[in-house]
Amino acid sequence: MSTVKLLLRLLPLLVILAVIPVALAEAPVALHGLAPLPDDQKVPHRMLPPGADDPDDGPSDVIFPTQQLTLRFNHGKHVSKDIGATCKTCHAAAYKSRSAQDTLLPKGEVCDACHSSDHTNLAAVKPGDDATGQCGYCHQGYKASDGNAVAELQMPRANLMFDHQGHLDRNIGCAQCHGTIDQLELATRDQLPRMQGCFHCHQMPDSASRGEAKGACDTCHIRGERGARIKVMFASGTLKPPRWLHNSEHTPDFIERHKSIAADDSQFCANCHKEDFCTDCHDGRVRPRTIHPNDFINMHPIEARMATEKCQSCHREQSFCLDCHMRVGVSESGPPNAKDSARFHPPKSIWSDPPRRPGHHAAEAQRNLNACVSCHTERDCVVCHGAMGVGAGFDPHRGNFASSCANQFRRNPRPCFTCHEPTDGVLAQCR
Amino acid sequence: MRRPVPGKANVPALYLHAGLAGAAVVALWSGSARAMDSEVTSDTTAQAYDLRSPTGETVLTRRRLTTTMGVGVYNLLDAPMGDPHAAELSFRARLRYDADYGVAGSEVDPNNPNALTPGVSQGLVDLMYGYVEGRRFMHGWLGFKLGRQYVTDALGWWSFDGGEVNVTTPYFVKAEAYAGLEQRGGLPLSSSRFESDGIWRGNRSRYDPAQYPQFQPATLAPAFGVALESAGVNWLHGRLSYRRVYDTGGSNTSEFGNGLYTPVVYSGTRISSDRLGYALDLNLKDYGGLRGGVVYDFYDNEVTQLYGTLEGYIGKRVTVSADYDYYVPTFDADSIWNFFAGEPMNDLGLRANVDVTDRISVAGGGHVRVYGVDTSPLSTATSYSPYPNYSPTFDIFPGNGHPFDEGGNLSARYHGGATLVSLRGAGNFGDAGDRVGADVAAQHVFETRYVASVRTGLWQWQDNLRPDRDATSYNYVLGLGYRFAPRAQATFEWEHDMNRLVGQRLRLMLWLSVAVGK
Repeated sequence: MSTVKLLLRLLPLLVILAVIPVALAEAPVALHGLAPLPDDQKVPHRMLPPGADDPDDGPSDVIFPTQQLTLRFNHGKHVSKDIGATCKTCHAAAYKSRSAQDTLLPKGEVCDACHSSDHTNLAAVKPGDDATGQCGYCHQGYKASDGNAVAELQMPRANLMFDHQGHLDRNIGCAQCHGTIDQLELATRDQLPRMQGCFHCHQMPDSASRGEAKGACDTCHIRGERGARIKVMFASGTLKPPRWLHNSEHTPDFIERHKSIAADDSQFCANCHKEDFCTDCHDGRVRPRTIHPNDFINMHPIEARMATEKCQSCHREQSFCLDCHMRVGVSESGPPNAKDSARFHPPKSIWSDPPRRPGHHAAEAQRNLNACVSCHTERDCVVCHGAMGVGAGFDPHRGNFASSCANQFRRNPRPCFTCHEPTDGVLAQCR
Repeated sequence: MRRPVPGKANVPALYLHAGLAGAAVVALWSGSARAMDSEVTSDTTAQAYDLRSPTGETVLTRRRLTTTMGVGVYNLLDAPMGDPHAAELSFRARLRYDADYGVAGSEVDPNNPNALTPGVSQGLVDLMYGYVEGRRFMHGWLGFKLGRQYVTDALGWWSFDGGEVNVTTPYFVKAEAYAGLEQRGGLPLSSSRFESDGIWRGNRSRYDPAQYPQFQPATLAPAFGVALESAGVNWLHGRLSYRRVYDTGGSNTSEFGNGLYTPVVYSGTRISSDRLGYALDLNLKDYGGLRGGVVYDFYDNEVTQLYGTLEGYIGKRVTVSADYDYYVPTFDADSIWNFFAGEPMNDLGLRANVDVTDRISVAGGGHVRVYGVDTSPLSTATSYSPYPNYSPTFDIFPGNGHPFDEGGNLSARYHGGATLVSLRGAGNFGDAGDRVGADVAAQHVFETRYVASVRTGLWQWQDNLRPDRDATSYNYVLGLGYRFAPRAQATFEWEHDMNRLVGQRLRLMLWLSVAVGK
């Protein structure tokens, strides 16, 4: 018998002999409670707190600062029928808590009841008899050689006001804010509430009876000091509004589009900003460089004519602009000593002579009268356009003016008399 | 408008600041006896620079000092901290002194007609705001403000002296009413920022009637307004507001000192502005939002503003939007300019914002402006033909529109802890001129107290109405600051601008911000 044939005959026996040790060996213990789901699977959206995005980036880092969890814990196992714990078994403090500053994690003594350990004296914790009572069973990275020390669990307080008892009293269960923790192993920051979820209930005005879920920011956010409605600066960052709240994400171009948000609900802005923040630009006396670039004084005539940024959003033209233009000689109304010899406008043949066309002062005035108002007083127009002025008869009125002027004459006839004598017959059609 | 005697421009400011400082001391002292919250703030800016006319013939020496002092006393009812249902009572005020020591005494001297510049002040003192505010009284139903205060809504950013009361109902509606006097320049402790434009107005009490007759006297302007807005709901908000302001007293309608017209002063209570506005904001978290507003002017009998933005959310990091903005200039009803022909501006824009990372965002967009063209014929049944220079050809309105104006902008921001870097660029092109360029700015805070900043920009502009007025501007600003207390900082800035038209210019600035709270 050849060697090969001998090996083939013995092969089944060799296989059996090889498998026996493997079969007799203890199966590896899968460690649970190190992540929300086994093998660090992603938590399905349905198990996250209400209001979570899909996909979700977790709750606000500013409101809920990042944590360092050094414990292994399997929530699902503890609330299973085998063990029968409930949320209250370990988090009893939450049922009486009135403040987000309260400690709601169970003390180690709560664990001792089942794990046979003894946390009575944290300086000399005694492990239990069995494997589940050993320090390393729950405390990640525990080594007896480290002097019986465990890694510190870091769970900063939420930068929020929250009344757990008040919510529980209204039959708002844990899952309504924290998601389905009972189906998870380790509960992480991802199970902390999302603001969008709070708004599922907090949609009530201030006058709703006390205790109702008011929608005001300072219902939940910490009141700021010195008159600030809410505190926005924290060690963990600065609060900024999310995109879905009044479309108010503070994007790099927010300064160009904030108008419609403030015009709709200025009190929303006032939750974080006092008037001073607005007046720095809107009633400012120092050029904000984030609005006007350097050397703006030289290029501002073009910007004023184009009105890409409307000057009158922050400046009154017959005051702020005119004052300076008169002093520097760029105005017809200024003092004699300040007259500039140059002609500011295009040549007369373009600027004043008919016909009206782009570049003619009529055309320029028609498309942006505000630019004229920043240098001229109304007298400058009356010189020519007044009914008895130098150029009497150059009618500046818009088309069909005569059909609508009665309303204006009745409410305020003063401007009519600036150009027309009170006895002027042409006023009859407006009286 | 307060007109200090030359050389003593800062005296009234000192008195007023001293008064406010006294109130601040009382507030801080009494804060020790009660649980109320108080603060005193001050911002001061000193600037030195020269300003040249377009020809360079006139050079204004500007030596400016702007300082504000604010006082706030909060929680006057001693409500428990953190109770969002408790009624609140607070007081806030801010006084400002804005001086230019470069203004010559002759410019404000009525006895020097060759130099007098009406409206110019050497040192204006104004009370920016000062009010008592109550919130959530009567179980959240009632709120009020009394004093000089702002109102911000679709009708604009406005200020008045008076009272405001608001009632928040449980039915998601809040009602508001206010009445008082519009803040007007030329009146004590007031600036002209908030009155309607179109009238050159101020304190002319020291002027001879024949001196600058077109400079109108400031008079009281009674005003009232009402508003209805939604309350409580966060995904939908709307505010409907109405406001009427009156002009009172006399107004000179004969604006020529040479008697070209019959001297006439029109007196009487009349409309200054009379407008209705509505603004709306609707948001659907996963899809986008819609917001917009409209303003109707009862004096001009037309819609003067209409704007809207439709936003769409593409994923969590990209927002796109389409914007529309319609605008017709309007003025104080005393002004002749409401009657002038105008072409409404119609701006159409597209915009996108991308949050590249949590620290980097980029936003950009483009827009085009279409001018409305008034081609309506004059109803000339009673034409202007009686007038001496009447010519029908002058009443022909343009038959076609202007070419479009167009432009775009790009902004970007990096925010990394103590470092902030930003870019802001724009290009705008049209008949009136072109302007294109960008600014880059960076700021870093060292050891939480030393602040270093730099800003530099490169801009090119061309004035199409004056072909010789084009230039490329390069400029930079260097700043150093020191935070000597948690809410106090001193900063020095050096600005250097250069272009071929006016050459090299420097601006030196010193900032000092201090806030003390208890």
